[in-house]
Amino acid sequence: MDPTDIGLFRLAEKRLNWVEQRQQVLAQNIANAYTPDFKARDLSPFESSLTEQGVTVARTDPAHLEGQHSAASGKEQASRGKSPTGNTVAMEEQLGKVADTASTQELVTNLYHKYQGMFKMVLGRSG
Amino acid sequence: MDISKAIAISASGMDAQTARLRVIAENLANQDSTGSSPGAEPYRRKTITFEDKLDKELGVDTVKVRSVGLDKSDLPKRYDPSHPAADAEGYVRTPNVNSFVEIMDMREAQRGYSANLNVMEVTRTMLTRTIELLK
Repeated sequence: MDPTDIGLFRLAEKRLNWVEQRQQVLAQNIANAYTPDFKARDLSPFESSLTEQGVTVARTDPAHLEGQHSAASGKEQASRGKSPTGNTVAMEEQLGKVADTASTQELVTNLYHKYQGMFKMVLGRSG
Repeated sequence: MDISKAIAISASGMDAQTARLRVIAENLANQDSTGSSPGAEPYRRKTITFEDKLDKELGVDTVKVRSVGLDKSDLPKRYDPSHPAADAEGYVRTPNVNSFVEIMDMREAQRGYSANLNVMEVTRTMLTRTIELLK
């Protein structure tokens, strides 16, 4: 049985992907917190990424590479207060988002684990 | 993998803040470095600026030091005719380093460094949790 066919596992995988990308975007924001004219970015919420159909590059030849079409670059956030250098990164806000992302990841991995444990139980291996 | 990219970005941020701290240390250490001959230039305060740079290998925005420049502001003068660097009227030009500004900058660099470190720790915990799914 392929576990990726199960809705919950697939959803968890998507969510983990989103969490990883968001963590990357937030790391970029914080690393560039003192870079002049740097605009803080964020991913669109996960809920919208479930309904949106992403545009992918057509592969007409098996030799074509898949290419990176991730949303990792993120969207510019509406700037709330700019520093005199034109930087829009608010450190506290970003760190709050990092904590939020981490707890989401913890929730998803725990759910995944629990679900996996149920399968193990059915298979007779104590989960 | 995005998780390890996030760690690389945080590392570049910490690098940048360390470079900033180095410049601050230079400024503070040289805040009394005057010239040694009459009319000679004293130490000028150094400044540092950052820029975001696309890491082509990782495909992400890292941060790097754009340039270390010199503060062009006026050099303060002090009346001290006995000083070897005193000019004809007895004035010595002293470095344009303001220790309060430097300490302020140092605090900011420290804050930036710990923010990056914090992100790195969180990222690492996330990575560990993902690996634990295998158990």
